[in-house]
Amino acid sequence: METLALQHYLAVGAILFGIGLIGFMCRRNLIVMFLCTELMFQGVAINLVAFGHFWGNFSGQAFTIFVLVIAAAEASLALGLVVLLFRQKNTLDADAWRELKG
Amino acid sequence: MSDLFAFQHAWLIPLLPLLGALLAGFLGARFLKRQSHWPIWLGVGASAVLSFSLLFGMLALWTKGRESSVREPAGKWTVEQANLERAAARDRGESKSVPLARSIKWFDWILAGGSDASHKSYPDNDIRSADGTVNPLRPFHVEAGAWIDPLTAVMLCVVCGIGFFITVFAAGYMKGESGYFRFFAYLGLFLFSMTILVMGNNFVMLYLGWEGVGLCSYLLIGYYYEKPAAREAAKKAFLVNRIGDFGFGLGIMLCFLAFGTVSYYGNGPHTGSGVLDMAMAAQLPGGQITPFQQTALKWIPFLLMIGAFGKSAQFPLYVWLPDAMEGPTPVSALIHAATMVTAGVYMIARCSTLFVQNEAALITIAFVGAFTALFAGSIALRQFDLKKVFAYSTVSQLGFMFVAVGVLAPVAGVFHLITHAFFKALLFLSCGVIMHAMSGELDMRKFSGLKRVLPKTHVLMLIGCLALAGIFPFSGFFSKDEIVGAAFHHNTLLGLVLLFTAFLTAYYTFRLYFRVFQGPEILPEAPAHASHGHGGDEHGSHNHEPWSMMLPLFVLAIGAILAGALNWPERERSLGTFLYESPSFQNGAVIADIAFTRLGGKPVDLSAFGRREADEAAMGHEPPFTPIMGISLIVALCGVWLAYRNHLKDRAAAERLARKLGGLTTLLEGKYWIDEIYENAIVEPLKKLGRAFFIIDQMVVDGVVWMISFIPQATGFALKLTTQRGYLQGYAASMLFGVLVILLLIFW
Repeated sequence: METLALQHYLAVGAILFGIGLIGFMCRRNLIVMFLCTELMFQGVAINLVAFGHFWGNFSGQAFTIFVLVIAAAEASLALGLVVLLFRQKNTLDADAWRELKG
Repeated sequence: MSDLFAFQHAWLIPLLPLLGALLAGFLGARFLKRQSHWPIWLGVGASAVLSFSLLFGMLALWTKGRESSVREPAGKWTVEQANLERAAARDRGESKSVPLARSIKWFDWILAGGSDASHKSYPDNDIRSADGTVNPLRPFHVEAGAWIDPLTAVMLCVVCGIGFFITVFAAGYMKGESGYFRFFAYLGLFLFSMTILVMGNNFVMLYLGWEGVGLCSYLLIGYYYEKPAAREAAKKAFLVNRIGDFGFGLGIMLCFLAFGTVSYYGNGPHTGSGVLDMAMAAQLPGGQITPFQQTALKWIPFLLMIGAFGKSAQFPLYVWLPDAMEGPTPVSALIHAATMVTAGVYMIARCSTLFVQNEAALITIAFVGAFTALFAGSIALRQFDLKKVFAYSTVSQLGFMFVAVGVLAPVAGVFHLITHAFFKALLFLSCGVIMHAMSGELDMRKFSGLKRVLPKTHVLMLIGCLALAGIFPFSGFFSKDEIVGAAFHHNTLLGLVLLFTAFLTAYYTFRLYFRVFQGPEILPEAPAHASHGHGGDEHGSHNHEPWSMMLPLFVLAIGAILAGALNWPERERSLGTFLYESPSFQNGAVIADIAFTRLGGKPVDLSAFGRREADEAAMGHEPPFTPIMGISLIVALCGVWLAYRNHLKDRAAAERLARKLGGLTTLLEGKYWIDEIYENAIVEPLKKLGRAFFIIDQMVVDGVVWMISFIPQATGFALKLTTQRGYLQGYAASMLFGVLVILLLIFW
């Protein structure tokens, strides 16, 4: 079995990103859409770590830690918003909030 | 000469009134209030002291120079000119004195354009390259500096001296007015601008002062801004002056274009580094001058002249001055009689080098001046408002001064400027006293016989009237007769017009005097409510002649009597010979001599430039004034006698005469309908044009702009309807699409 090359990591990252993207585009449920964005984040994070590893420096990992921290902070906010939105309309359908278009 | 205190501190002369104005303006409303006149009194007073010490220092140097007869070899830029000067000195039969003129640089004001190399070498020397053409890479260099010479010193003394006494008067006159501090702040600003105007050593400084006095004139005419008439008059003065200033500005630009500098004399006379010096080269044999400069010299005097016509209220542009009487009376005295309106005369005298070589410009100036003198003098005959009479009289007297500079007698022009400043300021301030006593009434039909009510004013006004009418030995007699004499020397028609105007002057002056001060005592019955209420307590006290107002009047009256002695004819040392020390006059005389000899015209009377021949009999030159003096005195006395007959002995006679002259009277009372003609021929069409432009602006220009703005608006609206529909996934999809497009564009 050959050793893991950069391409393998990139492929995993791309797959994660693609799943997230497709999920975000296709699902109506706010929580699922949110999860999909997290998936995309992780895809990108894997890319960063992989690049950092193969370039022989730690920038990628440092970036990833930043991304994770910010994603965690953002997750708490977003989930709180989703809860509030749910309380308003008793549904998690994103299209229920079309009137916000202004 | 440079060690003289006043020379070194000449920069204080404009600065002190400015400081006073700033103090009065910024602290007046809160702190100084009724004491706002103090900063101006002190500032202008100190400036006046400095001006006089400058003048007397110069006089002392002059005397010393004449006694020791040291001739200081001035730098010459051509051999020919040096020879010429030497020849001229030989003609004069003596060698002359230390130069009394010098340029004082304060700081570099503007230094723009040109290459770096030209910046480094700018002290105006390298304007000309080796072949005599103007260096095209020259920078526009203006220094803030003073040109101190006898003309400047004399003008400064007139401006600051008379200005000081008028500010003293104004403190009494304006007592209790609202905006007292504002008045004094403007007055200080005016004196600052006026001193800059007369002191500046280049045209841009002159222009700065020129515009500054215009602004202050506007502000002060509109001092009673609640009165619509005052507002209109202020606007009119400003706008009419714009026309003149436009020409003036073009003239300065042309000076720079042709000569590469705006300085009068650059590093000093005869160094060939100033406009007036280079202009002189045009007439000197062997002088280097390009064809473009030749052409420019034909036009510059005309353009400058337009500016002078505007500021000094000559014929086509005189209309603002009579209306300017809406301002407070001290303003009329200071700005619209004594100082600002004479700026045009000063400018032409200063630039006589430019003017004397242009015969067409001289003739224009002389004839416009003579026409204005006659025209305004005739209007004054049928005016009933005291201040209006004197306003038209001022226009007329300014016409006299223009004739003087136009007939190659700038000394007479400056002389008349000085005497006129004294007696006209005196007359206007006396009008102010009458106005206070009559509660703002100025119509001479409403009162009469005031000599017992205002005894001091009566005497002072009589002195002023005698001086204005030109009765021997008051100052107006000498200056006016010098002008009339010079006009006769040049052109008989001009002389006759001026002589007739002198008759009219005597008539309207004494018509006013006899009506106001002599005859039965009539006071306006119900004191019309003063448009600008002065202190109510003053009404009861009946003291209409407080000392604070009378004292300046006495000083001015002494000036009005004695100023004529300044240029007593045939004196070895007089105003004229002093002014001749100024290069403006000296060069003017040299050029006039050359230019007119070349043209084969009449020999120029060089004494009119202040040159006194050492041996007049040997030169075959006799002062042409003596017979004229007698004639013009008789003419003036005729005017006085006629005024006495028509306005004192039998007051109905004037009305009978007016009825007999029917049409002429209507013409004069209508002031030749010049205002109406301007209104209909210029103002109304301009207004219509403005309205048309407004409509075009609204419909076409704004329409196009509106249409252009409609395109993004409509696009945005359409996009909003089609894309912004509130589906979250839709937005995500368009974002994705956008990213894909960008990637495609990058990696294709």
